[in-house]
Amino acid sequence: MAKISAVKGEYIVELLSKGIRDGPRKFMDYRKITISQGLLPNAEGSAQVDLGNTKVLVGIKMGVGEPMPDKPKEGNLMVNAELLPLASADYDAGPPSPESVEFARVVDRGIRAAGTIDLSSLFIEKDKVWSIFVDIYVLNYDGNLFDAGTLAVMAALLNTKMPRYENDAVVREGEMPKLKIGSIVTSCTYAKLGDKIIIDPTGAEESVMDARLTVTNDEQYIRAMQKGLNGAFSYAEIENLLEKTFEKSKELRKVLEGLKG
Amino acid sequence: MDRIVIPGELLAERPIRSENTLVEGNMTYATVLSLFDEAKGVLIPLESVWYPKHGETVIGIIEETRLNSYNVDLNSSFKGMILSKFSETRFAQGDIVEAVVRDIDETKTVMLMHARSLYGGKIIDIKPSKIPRIIGRENTMLNQLMQGTMSSIKVGTNGRVWIKGGDASLATEAILRIQEEAHTAGLTERIKTMLESKNGNGNKV
Amino acid sequence: MEGGEKPELIVNGKRLDGRDFGELRSLKIEAEVLKNADGSAYVEWGNNKIIAAVYGPKEALPKHISDPDRAIIKCRYSMAPFSSLEEHGRTGPNRRATEISKVTKEVFENVILLDRFPGSEIDIFIEVLQSDGGTRAAGITAAAVALVNAGIPMSDVPYAVSAGKVGDKIILDLNKIEDNYSDADIPIAISPRTGNVLLLQMDGSLTKEEFKQAFNMAKEAGKTISELQKSALVDPYRKLAEKYKV
Repeated sequence: MAKISAVKGEYIVELLSKGIRDGPRKFMDYRKITISQGLLPNAEGSAQVDLGNTKVLVGIKMGVGEPMPDKPKEGNLMVNAELLPLASADYDAGPPSPESVEFARVVDRGIRAAGTIDLSSLFIEKDKVWSIFVDIYVLNYDGNLFDAGTLAVMAALLNTKMPRYENDAVVREGEMPKLKIGSIVTSCTYAKLGDKIIIDPTGAEESVMDARLTVTNDEQYIRAMQKGLNGAFSYAEIENLLEKTFEKSKELRKVLEGLKG
Repeated sequence: MDRIVIPGELLAERPIRSENTLVEGNMTYATVLSLFDEAKGVLIPLESVWYPKHGETVIGIIEETRLNSYNVDLNSSFKGMILSKFSETRFAQGDIVEAVVRDIDETKTVMLMHARSLYGGKIIDIKPSKIPRIIGRENTMLNQLMQGTMSSIKVGTNGRVWIKGGDASLATEAILRIQEEAHTAGLTERIKTMLESKNGNGNKV
Repeated sequence: MEGGEKPELIVNGKRLDGRDFGELRSLKIEAEVLKNADGSAYVEWGNNKIIAAVYGPKEALPKHISDPDRAIIKCRYSMAPFSSLEEHGRTGPNRRATEISKVTKEVFENVILLDRFPGSEIDIFIEVLQSDGGTRAAGITAAAVALVNAGIPMSDVPYAVSAGKVGDKIILDLNKIEDNYSDADIPIAISPRTGNVLLLQMDGSLTKEEFKQAFNMAKEAGKTISELQKSALVDPYRKLAEKYKV
């Protein structure tokens, strides 16, 4: 995503070919993860994730609206991502880029597929359901938005309180129960550079990666996958990364499970 | 008949370097739909994109006249250019020109030489991969076309054919048929028969 | 993914349309169906009807997007508003189409020899005229044929197909109703020469073992799809050549 100087890119590739990563990490290490919840009291739920220098904020608002015509008994979940111009010199203001659309949709698919939110519990009455608006704001880009985004959305959902719907109005006062959360999902994103594969790429690493694979899972199942960019993976590589994901996701899930909400 | 191959198909377990092959180690693969002559190791493209080469004749259209040069449309991602200092003729926007590729500069502009105007007539677009067949070995097909139709015909390797005078519609019909049947046997004979039976003057080809 | 009452998708070991688990729908591919485009292809894949066209290489415009070292690819996947069995669709690019256009572009960036045409652009248009599940896979399969028809040099002709899961069964080439109620959907594009995976998406629930099964099923079907892609390109030439055989 980010364009960095060709010199730095070459340096990264050269190091990797020697089995070394730029910085103190090994190939399959995550950067430091810091999560804070509830920073935005006006929102029904919120969280910020710092994954190394990548900083992602998620705000969740709930509203009452009509269900989708093909799912009249279910609430709506809408995930949107903004690659804000303040987050990187390479981001422009303007209509959503294909990158931001893909980002939002991959995060959405993992959470939706795992049934993290029981959408049928959001049904109010005929033609009236709760809609959950999830907005992912990228405040600083330094690679691996997918994993940071999924973590931040999960953390924000765990922090979300349900408003009440009384006399045709949304009431955000008094006793507000927590939004019920089903299974917790996390994603692991891998970057392939030449024949080397690393987890949790930085912005500089992403700028020279050939291909990307994101695997979203819960404890039991793979819930979503997305391969990106013009490079390719062999089947054997994918199989290894699926294995690796079930191992590494335990670390991420532990961070989420340690949250107070 | 020769083998028809598609991109990625293994041609030989030895390196054969050509415009339309991909060599990886000792393996050679096709990169376009082609006829492959196994015995000679030669690949003849059936569908391909024109790539300019020194000495080739092209047919262009003057797109823009500038102080010292002309920008020439070549029906391609490559832009043509005629430098005024190399051309005695002056061109106007929209002129049809026949020219020869001098070289391709570092900005991927095709520098042209020996440019001259083609007045009147019409241009038809032909797949670049079929152009060699329209010319024929030692110009045989092209000469036959011109004799059989009494048309002036200029062929540009960039996929343009210019036709003027004579039975231009017969010439067009014959050229489109050559494009269609370029890879078949006995084509020169069939075109000869076609021209003889259809030309109004009964000209012998 | 699920909505409304979930129908039985597998009855007596067969799918609703009578197919076996690993069976492709009927697939017809035709090359060079449009006059203006430099290359084109039409695919009927089950009830999907998809047309793909390629323009270029041509001058990359606007100028600032051009890359002096290689061709750039633009890809537009689009569903016609009348294409689905349900109500009239919204026209224009939506988020789903934007994403599919992006991942499709990336598939072809892998196989097109981009450095042969620096500064140029190659446009790939995929129009879904009628949809019945698996349109992105069908679109990629069609666009690959259109690119060869346009004479664009490539290292391989990729194919795509979707696999999925219904209950605990892995099935191939999901149609719309299967897709709507499946437990997983996995579109895959592969370069047959190298076996490289060029597109991989998935959502639903899947174990590693199930993924392996789905992948192998897609790869097996790939033989048939590749063969049909090749026939679409080669047969018209072969027929003419045989007609005039000496």
